Amino acid sequence: MGTIGTFDAFTTSRLAIYAAQQGLQVTGNNIANINVGGYTRQRLDQISFKVGGADMYRSQIDNHIGNGTLVRNINQIRDPYLDIRYRNTASEVGYQDALLAGLKEIADTLDEVGKEITSDKEDDGVLYAQLRDLQKSLEQLSLNPTKENDTLVRNSAETLCSIFHTYAKKLETLRQNTEASFKQDVSAVNEILTNIRNLNESIRNCDIHGDNALELRDERNRQIDALSEYMQIKVEYTMEDIGAGQEVEKLTISLGNANTDPLVHTDETVLIDGIYGSQISIDQVPKPNPNYDPNLPFSATNLMYLDKDGNPCKSTDPNVALVDSPNYDLVISKLIDSRNRVPKDPDANKDRPVKLDDNDLYGSLQATRELLTEAGEFTTKDTVKDIDENASIKRGIPYFQKSMDLLARQFADQFNKLNQGTPVDENGNPVTNPVTVTLPTMTQDSNGLISIVNPATGEYEPKPGWSLDKNTGYTMMGGYYVGTHGDTCDITGKIPVFNGQNADQVVAGIKNSNDDVTEYETAKANGASQEELNEIARKLLTRTLNDHGVKPSDTTVCTKVVDLPKGGVLFSNCNDNDDPEGITAANIDISHSWSTGDTKIVPTWVVLHDGTINNTTKNENVDHMLSKLDESLVYDPSVLVEGAVSNKLFVGSFNDMFSNMASVLGDEQRVHNVQLNTHYTSLVEIDTSRDGVSGVDLNDEAMNMTQFQKAYSAACRLMTAVDEALDRLINNTGIAGR
Amino acid sequence: MIRATTGGVLRSYRKNLMNSFINQNKARDTVLTQRTFNSYAEDPAAAAKAFRLRKSRMAVENQYDVCSETFHKFQGAYQCLQNVDEVLDTENKGNQLNTIKSTTLKMLNDPTGDARTQLKTALDQMSEAIVQTLNQKYGDTFIFAGADGHNVPFEIKDNKLYYRGVPVDAAVPDVLKDAGGAFVKLNQEGQYDPAASPECYLKTKNIEPISISSYEDTYVPPAVEEDYIPNPPFADQWGPVEYNADGTPKGEGDAGGYYKITDPNRYASANLSDVDGAGTYLISVEKYKGMESNAQNKPQLLQNTDLTLTEVNKDGVPTPGGGFYLTIDGKPEDQVITQGRYEIAIEDTAKLQTLIKEKQFVDIGLGMQENDRNQLIESSAYNAALHGITFLGYGEDEDGDPKNIYSLVQRLKEMAASVPDGSDWSTPFYEEFRGVVQKLETASSEFKTEFTNMAAGTTKLQTNLKLLEDQHYNLQEQYAELEDVNAADAITSFIWAQYCYNAALKVGNNILSETLMDYLN
Repeated sequence: MGTIGTFDAFTTSRLAIYAAQQGLQVTGNNIANINVGGYTRQRLDQISFKVGGADMYRSQIDNHIGNGTLVRNINQIRDPYLDIRYRNTASEVGYQDALLAGLKEIADTLDEVGKEITSDKEDDGVLYAQLRDLQKSLEQLSLNPTKENDTLVRNSAETLCSIFHTYAKKLETLRQNTEASFKQDVSAVNEILTNIRNLNESIRNCDIHGDNALELRDERNRQIDALSEYMQIKVEYTMEDIGAGQEVEKLTISLGNANTDPLVHTDETVLIDGIYGSQISIDQVPKPNPNYDPNLPFSATNLMYLDKDGNPCKSTDPNVALVDSPNYDLVISKLIDSRNRVPKDPDANKDRPVKLDDNDLYGSLQATRELLTEAGEFTTKDTVKDIDENASIKRGIPYFQKSMDLLARQFADQFNKLNQGTPVDENGNPVTNPVTVTLPTMTQDSNGLISIVNPATGEYEPKPGWSLDKNTGYTMMGGYYVGTHGDTCDITGKIPVFNGQNADQVVAGIKNSNDDVTEYETAKANGASQEELNEIARKLLTRTLNDHGVKPSDTTVCTKVVDLPKGGVLFSNCNDNDDPEGITAANIDISHSWSTGDTKIVPTWVVLHDGTINNTTKNENVDHMLSKLDESLVYDPSVLVEGAVSNKLFVGSFNDMFSNMASVLGDEQRVHNVQLNTHYTSLVEIDTSRDGVSGVDLNDEAMNMTQFQKAYSAACRLMTAVDEALDRLINNTGIAGR
Repeated sequence: MIRATTGGVLRSYRKNLMNSFINQNKARDTVLTQRTFNSYAEDPAAAAKAFRLRKSRMAVENQYDVCSETFHKFQGAYQCLQNVDEVLDTENKGNQLNTIKSTTLKMLNDPTGDARTQLKTALDQMSEAIVQTLNQKYGDTFIFAGADGHNVPFEIKDNKLYYRGVPVDAAVPDVLKDAGGAFVKLNQEGQYDPAASPECYLKTKNIEPISISSYEDTYVPPAVEEDYIPNPPFADQWGPVEYNADGTPKGEGDAGGYYKITDPNRYASANLSDVDGAGTYLISVEKYKGMESNAQNKPQLLQNTDLTLTEVNKDGVPTPGGGFYLTIDGKPEDQVITQGRYEIAIEDTAKLQTLIKEKQFVDIGLGMQENDRNQLIESSAYNAALHGITFLGYGEDEDGDPKNIYSLVQRLKEMAASVPDGSDWSTPFYEEFRGVVQKLETASSEFKTEFTNMAAGTTKLQTNLKLLEDQHYNLQEQYAELEDVNAADAITSFIWAQYCYNAALKVGNNILSETLMDYLN
């Protein structure tokens, strides 16, 4: 039987009370933090206490009994594997979520399902329906090519242009918002990186001083989780020798090797190395000079970049203006601690700052970047070759912007082309002014009087508006009968063309030809009416011409400036001009000439028989335009982007092209939505699993609470029992016979 | 799961509750919008298909408008042509007053021609009425103006009808050309003149080559021996000396009956026999007299500028030694046409051909499409052009008479006017008049044929309108099937989603209340 220290039992009891009390405190802390995000449940690390060694009077047969319990530590329970899985999945969710959000915003503009222009065109779409409205206007113009119907088409086209503008503006606004969001994300990532670095420093200090810094670790885990949504990362914990044989934990965070190219290692760049951290930023490049012409030699005014004052300069100019890289390339800075000190290891900052490759990131940051940069089939071959071999199948805002631009360009080009044709005759041969034709010189009425012009209209009767060549015969357009005509006419001088009103002029011309005009002069002196004078003048002219051998059967070669169909540009890059170059969805407009009425839609290019026959309702060119609306056209990205990887984005009508854009968008949304749901479900499951390990459970804590409370009560009871035992021993032992 | 924690359970619950809420919201949207999908992302294939169907529907609506307008234009045309038809009386109803047919019949059967002037006036008015009818408009455009709907198609100037500025009777006359196709040139007087300026051409109508021998044998008596012949009791008379058949001079009691030809060329060309072997060639007096008689009515022959006769070949082409002359029926100057007029005739004829072929296609839902050369495939559109001259006729027939109804009526009118009221027509004139009336009948018959064709076109448009209506309905049905929800399904789904959501809320209430804490004293 061993000896019992007089107060050993009290010590045992006291330790038990302490332990139970701490247990209750830990339980209380867990319950209190149950709603704190990222809180890891804490656990009491108890050990059994026993004083070692043998006492002086220890018997060999004595049993050794422990001295109670000790609380060794308060620790956390985390599963590192679940953390890795969680963070990898978080980057997937971040990527898909950001991408899907961006696509959703694009769809808000381009997806016309359930939209309409007017309530009577329910669900017919907006731009989609407007293209058909244009068809309707063109059909009216085809039926009756009048100015009113041309205006109808113009109004429809104007509305179409404004829809293009609206969509282009919305997409550009979305791009700008996304750019701002990207910059905010970069700032947020930098803040997280700074926080983690600072937490590392605090935890390291705690470690050195023996504090386990559980709450700081929770916060650090929370920050790492947040970082993992922005980018795929790799988290490593190692031990760092701090001297004197003591080690503390060191956290290293690097990029998660997202790039599939095995030759690329920038995707493993270290972001956080213990107490040293880096920052990310958008690569700054020299501001390009928009007026630089590569076909001209370099000169002071023809340099590739602009300086801060807006003057052309070279890239090496120290005053060169810097702007964000158009590809939004990211750069990782040097590692520094909170006091801007660099690591002692010189290799830590070797080759820094690091410019990241196009696919080094994966997460919401990369998704936003792709939304800003990816142009799908509009990507250049150089980009595919040098930057991202999969760029041609990634479609962000630029893809949809350029698709809209291409649609607008194609539309404008096709209609401009149709309205700038060449006049042709009835046989399809080109007609150019002036046209030459053989004409009778005059007509003779039933009374034998020659009509040079129609008295009613003042125009040459058989061929209104024809100009006769002075060298071969008569000039009618100029109002004069001039010179000789072949072998049959020797009239000299000038006789104005009779127009029914200029009798005096005509008679003067006849008089100049030394012919008798007494009849006219007499009639005029006698106050004859103008009608009578006109008739006499006409008769005298007939006589004069006949006397000089000019017969109605005479012909002469003459020319005429025909009123040829005058086409023109219908759509331009600005309403103020007629320039069809560089049309995009943002700038497409009806041309200035069309808006002022100087240019109209040319219903026909056919000039019948040198313009002698009108064809005011001929409409074959409008029919071409109508056919063009439903014609399958090739949409070639290289028209818009020089060196584009694809030369056939789509083949179809204007409507089909727009529908295809929405379909591509819908498919992308669908694919990414499925992926997001999958990854999000995984994330929730992993998080729940992680919670299963690290989370606080009220049942659990209730049990712990009960357990510790009972232990506490038992320890107190023990102390009472020992107290009673000692009381018996001290006060009531050895009193027999007293 | 090793351990289910309160936070984990709540997180899982929260996610599932959100899903339940999303599903309920989606079901509500479906009920409210009555659409099976509300974005491309929900069903890209169906959305694309639905828009294609809507595009087709909108196209059909436009085509219906065009077809309807064209139909109404054709209906207007039908009314106009029916009026013209009544004036022409093509169905030979006979009992109608004021028809061209009845008027011409009256003229043909009016032996004394008492009412000729009135009938002529009636013809004039009716022909003008026909032209005015074909100048009708539908809306802003002239119905029968082909592809020149903004200008009046028919104009009458100097009693001639012009269609879009081109004389409707324009035709290229056949003119004489040599074997190489070169024009035979005449001057304006109708004389053969290779150097004529301005040059004129000879119309082949009413000309006929005649062999020189035949001509001379018919119309030119040969030179015969002449002398003073006793003519008691009068003085001797200068005249041909009569011979007997054996070549001896006619004596007292001889039969005589022949003259002696003195022109060696003539008896050589006539292949006559030397009756006495001493160079005596005779022509019977009877034949000689006959030739003298024929010479009074000998035809006009083509002459050279020196007034000598132009020798031509058997085809009428001037050829030295050709053995023929060219007879001209009428004045030679009337048979020529100046180069200018000839070219204008060619041009006008070409214009008429152009006009008659002119088309104005509209899209009435036949699939309007162009080929690889950007030319409209004509069968894919409808030609809405109506040419007035298609119905009234144009050009000239083989006799050189107009084929146009108006021109024929004018011709009848002029013919009627050339004979005063109350005087009879000569038989040839009557026959000529009747011939023109028959040509008018032919032109009326052509009109009827074209009218019937146009009416068939109207029927086609009417049928097409019905087809477009059906097509419109079908397309609406089709995209409604794609887009519109089944109301029962949609409401059931919504109620089910609402039920699920309510159940989820109830479960949540239990989760939050039921912990061990609630059972501790």
